[in-house]
Amino acid sequence: MQPELKPAGDSALLISFGEVIDDYVNDRVHAIASAVEKASPDWLIEVVPAYSSLLVVYDPLKAGYGEVEEAIKGFLDAKIEAFESRLVEVPVVYGGEYGPDIEFVARRNGLTIDDVIEIHSRQVYRVYFLGFLPGFAYLGGMDERIATPRLERPRLRVPAGSVGIAGKQTGIYPLESPGGWRLIGRTPLRLFDPAREPPTLLQPGDRVRFIPIEESEFRELYEREWGVEGD
Amino acid sequence: MIELLKVPSLLTVQDSGRPGYRKLGVPLSGFMDDFSARIANYIVGNPGNAPLLEFLLAGPALRFNASSVFAVAGDADLRLNGVPIEPWTSHWAKRGDVLEVGSLRSGLYGYIAFAGGIKCERLLGSCSAYPKAGLGRPLKAGDELNLGYAILTGKDSRYLPLQLRPDYSSKEREIRVVLGPNLEHFTDGGIETFLGSVYTVTPESDRMGYRLDGPAVEHSRRGADIVTEPLVPGTVQVPANGKPIVMMRDAQTTGGYAKIATVISADLHLLAQSRPGTRVRFRAVDVEEAQEILRRRERTLNAIEKFLNGEMRAYRIRTFGEERIAFTKVEKEG
Repeated sequence: MQPELKPAGDSALLISFGEVIDDYVNDRVHAIASAVEKASPDWLIEVVPAYSSLLVVYDPLKAGYGEVEEAIKGFLDAKIEAFESRLVEVPVVYGGEYGPDIEFVARRNGLTIDDVIEIHSRQVYRVYFLGFLPGFAYLGGMDERIATPRLERPRLRVPAGSVGIAGKQTGIYPLESPGGWRLIGRTPLRLFDPAREPPTLLQPGDRVRFIPIEESEFRELYEREWGVEGD
Repeated sequence: MIELLKVPSLLTVQDSGRPGYRKLGVPLSGFMDDFSARIANYIVGNPGNAPLLEFLLAGPALRFNASSVFAVAGDADLRLNGVPIEPWTSHWAKRGDVLEVGSLRSGLYGYIAFAGGIKCERLLGSCSAYPKAGLGRPLKAGDELNLGYAILTGKDSRYLPLQLRPDYSSKEREIRVVLGPNLEHFTDGGIETFLGSVYTVTPESDRMGYRLDGPAVEHSRRGADIVTEPLVPGTVQVPANGKPIVMMRDAQTTGGYAKIATVISADLHLLAQSRPGTRVRFRAVDVEEAQEILRRRERTLNAIEKFLNGEMRAYRIRTFGEERIAFTKVEKEG
């Protein structure tokens, strides 16, 4: 299948495979992204991959849309490289003040809290892409038995590290922000730290497994990661 | 060094932004009004992208603890040691001098540029503050700023003629857009509504996005939500209530609402400077035209830079009944 190419304003081109969430399509998105980056034409500013689409941001003072579109056509069949996929273990305290919605998630799905923890932490998740906020990973592959709709009224303040569920997705808030996902736990890990290289803990293509931990472990890890007492 | 004495509103250090990290979810950020900010830099002899101060509506009061040359872009009352001075002009400040910047009479964002630029810690390649992610923070009274090295001689008393200053006083303006890329999520009537109606900038607008009020844009049967896709500053998203939201410099990098259009790069600063209540009309141009407009704007900015450096002269001319500014090169003798 060949994707569609369209202008997204005067300085970006959108490559779209249609609205699907699919591992093979996402592999192709990342293959094109890395091929374009590797070739690094002089008009290229950056690439932004998502589920089934990829944005190529360019400098229109160096190349017009037609020229960029022509050049991009040469990358659409980029080979999917079997790139090294890391398995990142993310420790999580489930429930209590760390995951105030876990009881709701359990009740709504006819499960116990322990079932929710067991189901959520057994799965290996794929990082489709990072977006929305710095370091926010769009994770795929959650077990539908714990799928839960978003809050009707989003919270004004979700602490950094909160692990949430929204429909069939799960994810981790990298920064304190407003948010409408059902919170089931919290990781002490720092998902985004501008002083690190790379600044994000997770990269597209990584696999993630959540490891249940105790509150005491959370405190210890939190202090090591953030350099302060837990809040 | 500069010491901030009073900070009445949002005051941040900004430069041309933080490209290269959007794939990690880090927004571009940078000058909300790149046109004014670049000119402010040119007036004090800096490259256009040098870090400067961006203020919202009301400017700060600050004290110079070393000599400097500065310029303010924006229609505000300025006082240096209590004496009124002109915006869009470079001024010499001595150690101990106090600059007070008043409220903008029009527009939303003003800029204070210093010769040599503001020295700052570059985080992910830029000085632009994006406080949400710990990349810089809003400035407050008592903060001190260091300036980069610059030869000050010859950089003061540079003046941008009135005709060259951007005018943000109009209560209604036309903003040009390139339609797409999710047009299949809108009905033909919805696209017509978007292009044929007047929208008003609402107070729920900030560096991340401007919400507009006006006739609801109708979605097609595919609906308002899409599988999350990347977006850029200038993108116009339309959620289920049909009211357009224009993404600005601190926009998130991806979004899940259908995108009806993208504001052209040359016009985004016009929207950025639109106060709540400003009426906006959108006009569609194709991508080639948008890029030609941007190239023309770039030539104008380059000419303004050369004019301020004394390498070009500006003349007022009339062509086809319209008043324009023409630039000619200054021939160097010998």
